[in-house]
Amino acid sequence: MIEFINVGKTYPNNVKALDNINLKMEKGEFVAIIGMSGAGKSTLIRCINRMHDITEGEIVVDGVKVSSLKGKEIRTFRRRIGMIFQSFHLVTRSSVLKNVLVSFVPELPFWRKVTGIFSKEQKVKALTALDKVGILDKAYVRVDQLSGGQQQRVALARTLAQNPDIILADEPIASLDPVTARQVMDDFTTINRETDMSIIINIHHVEMALEYADRIIGVREGKIVYDGRAAEVTQEVLDYIYKGQTNDSEPMNKGEKRYV
Amino acid sequence: MYDKIFPPSKISLPNGKTVHEKRSRTPIVLVLVLLATIVSVRFTNFDLEVLFTRWKEFFVIIGEMIPPKWDYLDHIWKPLMDTIKMSLLGSMVGSLAAIPAAYLASSNVMSKPVAAWSKFILSILRTLPTLVTALIATFIFGLGTLAGTVAIFLFTIAYVGKLLYEQIENADMGSFEAMEAGGMTKMQAFRYAIFPQVLPNYLSTSLFCFEGNVRYAAILGYVGAGGIGLLLNEGLGWRDYASVGMILLMLIITVYIIEKISEHFRKKLI
Repeated sequence: MIEFINVGKTYPNNVKALDNINLKMEKGEFVAIIGMSGAGKSTLIRCINRMHDITEGEIVVDGVKVSSLKGKEIRTFRRRIGMIFQSFHLVTRSSVLKNVLVSFVPELPFWRKVTGIFSKEQKVKALTALDKVGILDKAYVRVDQLSGGQQQRVALARTLAQNPDIILADEPIASLDPVTARQVMDDFTTINRETDMSIIINIHHVEMALEYADRIIGVREGKIVYDGRAAEVTQEVLDYIYKGQTNDSEPMNKGEKRYV
Repeated sequence: MYDKIFPPSKISLPNGKTVHEKRSRTPIVLVLVLLATIVSVRFTNFDLEVLFTRWKEFFVIIGEMIPPKWDYLDHIWKPLMDTIKMSLLGSMVGSLAAIPAAYLASSNVMSKPVAAWSKFILSILRTLPTLVTALIATFIFGLGTLAGTVAIFLFTIAYVGKLLYEQIENADMGSFEAMEAGGMTKMQAFRYAIFPQVLPNYLSTSLFCFEGNVRYAAILGYVGAGGIGLLLNEGLGWRDYASVGMILLMLIITVYIIEKISEHFRKKLI
């Protein structure tokens, strides 16, 4: 379970990215976070695995207070959280299999870390992860020879090999064409159903969000302006999230800018 | 400014529209280059007359080198091999040591102050001429090949280190971020995200540096740091140009072979 308690984040340049966020996400939920570019979606997601530090409040993940973690604790904590990025973030010069094997590195003995020689058992695990996302046949192909959709699946396999409890996805389909985007979203759904991993996804495509996610969180100017079941989202709600016309009465306080 | 002194020419199209074409900068650049040449001739005491009367002396010396003293080869072998060994060992160990040095100097994986200091040290190391480093090394390690190896080692760290940290700083940080998000330390993320990206270029740079080092190593003997430079110095001192010719011939052949081999592998790398 992920819990945000009065979370706020102000960047060093005085830009307020998150403002008094209170949230609870249960294990196994498929949550989509929507909102304009710069509303704070990315920051919200990256605070969960401490890629960003928060400046106020507390985030608790399965009983662990995230902001009190230090050094090695952060790294151990991150092992349980997978992350998917918009531009895949793979090593394009290496083979698909090598990219997936990377997720075992923190567990390797020193000589294996240096040489990059993995055990057979780990190779089997990595290949199994590739099989799950349907690109087993590409295992020995260099990543730069794959299409965008295939690359995102490699990234997904890399995360699966880590066997996390939570997957955070930061705009996973923003650089994919509609058809491959759909395939990747289907993969997320399958993973969510079969393994009960929580999936938290930042997404620009509202129709996709409504179709695939169980729950929608709307973010505007660092605040949560909607939180509810995907089925209950109406055009009015979307207008509210994206334009903020309906009874918008929050005062802008202390002259802080509100975006990112 | 330039366009005000020399106004752009006007080109009119048949339909009455006009286009301004800026005047070429080439003439003024040519004048500047000519001026610079005249000034430098004054400063260096360049004398065309001496050049004309003495240029034949060049060929006198080369003429004396031909034919080279073939049986001098027996004396050359060992120092020549020493030279190659010096540069090979120095380049290999130096290239390896350049990896941690470059890591420390890269501002995207290291904290800014550490990176700035490491860069500063690398640049000092690079500024020192190898000949000077070799001379200092002979004071510390005594005359001989060890001093030369150390000098080449230090130069290689500085040279490969510099090119490598530039590569590292230009590397795609996406996968690095992904690996950090997956619970890796910066060092591990570097090994698995950035190292594969820079590896081909690193190997190519190291080979290129080795090529250059063979040439450097040939003159290190001048300061007593071992290798064929010692013989070269001796031969020139005694005006034994036939022997010098033999040494130069062997050097040319060696350097050529090494360059060709290195070139072959570098082409495969990129």
